[in-house]
Amino acid sequence: MTGLLLLTLRELRAKKIVLGLFVVATLVWVLLASALQLDVVDGSLAGARLFGQEAEFGGVVDPETGEVVGEPEVPFGAETVLEGLVFAAEAFVAGAAYWVGILLALFATGGLIASLLERGQVDLLLSKPLSRAQVLGGRLLGVGAMMLALLVYLLGAVWLVMTLKTGVWNPRFLLAIGVVFAMFAVVYGVVALVSVWTESAALGFIATLALLFTSLVLAIPNLALQVKAPWRQLIQGLHAVVPQFPGVGVRIVPQLATGQPVATWVPLLTSLAFGLALYAAAFALFRRKDF
Amino acid sequence: MPAIETRGLAKTYAGALGKNPVHALRPLDLTVEEGAIFGLLGPNGAGKTTLVKLLLGLAHPTEGEGALFGRSIREPEARRVVGFLPENHRFPAFLTARETLHLYARLAGVPDAERTSRADALLARVRLTDAADRRVRTFSKGMMQRLGLAQALMARPRLVFLDEPTDGVDPVGRREIRDLMLELRAEGTTLFLNSHLLSEIERVCTRVAILDRGRLVREGTVEALTATERLWRLRSTPVPDALLAGLDGAITAEPGPEDPSGLARYRLAVPDRPALNALLDRLRAAGVEVEAVEPMRQSLEDLFVEVVRAEGEPTL
Repeated sequence: MTGLLLLTLRELRAKKIVLGLFVVATLVWVLLASALQLDVVDGSLAGARLFGQEAEFGGVVDPETGEVVGEPEVPFGAETVLEGLVFAAEAFVAGAAYWVGILLALFATGGLIASLLERGQVDLLLSKPLSRAQVLGGRLLGVGAMMLALLVYLLGAVWLVMTLKTGVWNPRFLLAIGVVFAMFAVVYGVVALVSVWTESAALGFIATLALLFTSLVLAIPNLALQVKAPWRQLIQGLHAVVPQFPGVGVRIVPQLATGQPVATWVPLLTSLAFGLALYAAAFALFRRKDF
Repeated sequence: MPAIETRGLAKTYAGALGKNPVHALRPLDLTVEEGAIFGLLGPNGAGKTTLVKLLLGLAHPTEGEGALFGRSIREPEARRVVGFLPENHRFPAFLTARETLHLYARLAGVPDAERTSRADALLARVRLTDAADRRVRTFSKGMMQRLGLAQALMARPRLVFLDEPTDGVDPVGRREIRDLMLELRAEGTTLFLNSHLLSEIERVCTRVAILDRGRLVREGTVEALTATERLWRLRSTPVPDALLAGLDGAITAEPGPEDPSGLARYRLAVPDRPALNALLDRLRAAGVEVEAVEPMRQSLEDLFVEVVRAEGEPTL
């Protein structure tokens, strides 16, 4: 299985996928590091500039003097403005990694399962003393390892930059790595199953997008109440089964990034259960398939 | 212990909506002894590739069992002693030849310490040393085929499946591959060869099986399969018709274009050498001048076409 994992990483490198995502991740934290200039005095934020412009933190502007008066607003329940700034930046990056990064990674890696199954290549792999589970598992592990490494790099670098620049310690932000990775894995399960079934990367990607779109629609508040039976029951059933991509992105990732308590882990847990079912089906199908 | 043994091994592909199933391979009993070079023949759709796929675990049998050196084909471990060169194999284009061998050797369980020396030796054996560090995407068809052979041999397999090994290879390359097969056989490796080039099969294989429409129709050594009754080809001046008629079919004219030299060709059917000489004496006594006499053998191609046509399979 190690051989398949290494082959997958090598293939990602050869297709410049890893390089591209690494460049994007690097740009994010380098931009953050260079654009955000903070003046911290005795642990308090004396001033901040973003892209050279002074940053404001709320309060009331006196119309006669033009100066900000009153207490600045502190976002995300932070104790200080500086802490709030750190939370805001980290929440932004975690959100971008979740909403955009997962899609980018899907686009970049979606073809790898189908390429594994190409005639001539799969013949050589299956003729080795490996079980079918090892063959597919090695490929999936390679994709997962790449994604996890990139997330650790991106979010780890952002956390390091913000911690060193501000002295604000927010280790819970790093938990977002696990959540973003978990949701990527769940969504990639769709790619895996559809690709094993149809041997088509395009169909795998289309099915994944369809699932994400469905989860967005299901996240509309009170959607079930706005329709009649049997659609109501259908929506309620789907809501219980389909991964709650928006739910995790709105109710868990920002909370972790800003050090706040997570009210409910249910969206993540139900999504993980769905993902496990997808992988179980993919492995079962691959084991029984004739090539 | 046989290298390959099957008992009632069969494969049926379900048709759409469960109708019109395709019997790709009917229940097959086959034994390939260790050390043989076994050739598998058959027209397109005969079940040759299906059989290879079942033996290698690429497809699942519908019924029956198979074993490689006593180990069930359903177990991945059965393939630890197997090498495989598929038709139209595809190596990752971004790997070099050396990296390709290392990868598939790792997958086959070859220890780290052995891989480098083994790869170097095989690259030399298939004449790819100079291209060892070139990316596979730059390889010609012939080079790819030779790399495929090297890949199949990395784990020092006891049994090698070769599917059209000389496909796309020039005559010199084909000769080298044939020689390599004979070397492997001398080393005790069993070869299972699937090829449309009957002349290749005839030259290297010790045993041959012919499949047609999923069934085994002939099996045996090349000599046994191609042996004919004692037939001889005679080239001589024309034999008088009266004499031809009086010999009760022992001599028949061979069809074919006229010989510009005016000589005729005949087929002699006699039970043994004394009878042959007696017949020749009668012909010479009648004034027939003999140019040449040689024994006839049926080629493997002749046998193949004869068998397939007898089974009712169209040849075009």
